[in-house]
Amino acid sequence: MKTLLLEFYKIKRRNVWLTMFAMLSVQLLWGLWAFRDPKDWELQCGWMSLLYHLSLLDGIMVPTMMAVLASRLADIEHKGNTYKQLETLRSAGSLYHAKAICGCIIIMLLFAVQFVFFILLGYALGYEGNPDLKYYLLSYVLKIASNLSLFLLQLALSMFFANQMVPLVAGLGGSMAALLLMFVTTYSFLPWGGNLSAALVMSEWDETTRISTYFYRAFSSVETAAVVCIFVWIVVFYAAGRILFTRREA
Amino acid sequence: MAVTNLIETTNLTKQYGKVRCVNALNMKVPQGAVYGFLGPNGAGKSTTLKMILGLAKPTDGSITLFGIPANEKNRIKLLADTGSLIESPSYYGHLTGEENLHILQTLKGCPKENIDEVINIVRLNEARKKKVAHYSLGMKQRLGLAAALLGFPKLLILDEPTNGLDPAGIQEMRELICTLPSHYGITVVVSSHLLSEIDQMADHVGIIRHGELVYQNTLESLHSHAKQQIALRTDQPATTISLLHQDGIEVSKEEDYLLIPMLEDEYVAHLCRKMIEHHIALYRVEKREKSLEDIFLSLTGKESSL
Repeated sequence: MKTLLLEFYKIKRRNVWLTMFAMLSVQLLWGLWAFRDPKDWELQCGWMSLLYHLSLLDGIMVPTMMAVLASRLADIEHKGNTYKQLETLRSAGSLYHAKAICGCIIIMLLFAVQFVFFILLGYALGYEGNPDLKYYLLSYVLKIASNLSLFLLQLALSMFFANQMVPLVAGLGGSMAALLLMFVTTYSFLPWGGNLSAALVMSEWDETTRISTYFYRAFSSVETAAVVCIFVWIVVFYAAGRILFTRREA
Repeated sequence: MAVTNLIETTNLTKQYGKVRCVNALNMKVPQGAVYGFLGPNGAGKSTTLKMILGLAKPTDGSITLFGIPANEKNRIKLLADTGSLIESPSYYGHLTGEENLHILQTLKGCPKENIDEVINIVRLNEARKKKVAHYSLGMKQRLGLAAALLGFPKLLILDEPTNGLDPAGIQEMRELICTLPSHYGITVVVSSHLLSEIDQMADHVGIIRHGELVYQNTLESLHSHAKQQIALRTDQPATTISLLHQDGIEVSKEEDYLLIPMLEDEYVAHLCRKMIEHHIALYRVEKREKSLEDIFLSLTGKESSL
């Protein structure tokens, strides 16, 4: 617990929160712009439309955010050469664990803020009815899971490589992969495609009426497997990162 | 049972690929000592200290800390009473000196007051609220020492602690290290590639060369190796040797000189008279002293830097 609390103490003045919320603000500003002046049909399916667009936005932006978050958390140790001191006071495994939990808490708070803001936006725009809590909660859980798997992959790279260009380039490459995946498929077993697989709302665009129809996704067995895969990645990336970190010499 | 040696290594070995950095090292650090770990650059000092701290895994051999064999399971518990400064100081540049110490104080579980005490000891009072990124190298080194001193451990391991310090800082650091055993009951292991530095700080010394411990004893004992001799140069060395042998004096030859042990002034005068009586021309009578540097070089090899 002490080690975890110190992780938050260490990121003081590192603007980790600011960096995360700056990227989130871009999403929020986009939301304010894109959902302004809604038409009647948009008000009817507003809550579903919100979930759909959030998945889309997260798929594009969040892989980079996770790379930045992991890099910010690990870089403070590399820069100050602190592992050789910390590892005489705590095991390398517990130091790694504290970083992972710290990142997980930040991710949970980040997406909680995102959800609260967009729900308030929905009410402010006058969307009909209330958000379907079951889907919103499930979406929140899946979003945390898919982004946690990405974060853990990035953390493994950031903790292992002192030069943060390596994990950041991997993160940017992953973001590109995620973006390309969106054009061709609705699910992916790749870690960067987690946001795609976890999307609960799908959309159909009618060219003639220029109206989008939103509907809750009926998961096929392969799509369900892709969602399960997200949780498998969490375990794999955490274990692999921890093993790599504990086996290296300070 | 009283522990006599705080650190004992048995056949400690570290191999990276085909290179053996540390080879069957048997190090013994007595309680209450300032143990100078001396050796040229690249001799294996840092690797040895890292293995003792569990930061590098030994290829072979064992380490006993505070009389208990150290292993992966009890390592952190044993190191709770140890402070260390390895190679360069560890710090978070975006935090102040005090905040850096707060992190370590929390991890060590020692009282908060310790932070003020160690800051006073290393004289960082004025810079305690300043971000460490803005510290000079010397100040960072002092912060590293303060961090190692937190909790006033029983054992302090310092790897080249005077690196980056100005002459006044070096002097200050030396004085501080010398007082640690008597003032705080701390046993200190301090590594250096400078013989003069160890000579001024340590009371025990271990000399490492190419990963092997070539000397380990008290500094006093090392000094006793610095023996004095008398060198003679004459025109008839063979006759001089037989004269000396008649008096039962051992002689060795070194280039044109004959080396004999340090003798009383009266005997040297008697010897000179005797040589004149035998028509031996005496060119030189010199006093020779084998310095600590000579001993160090003979132990570590002439190519080693001091």
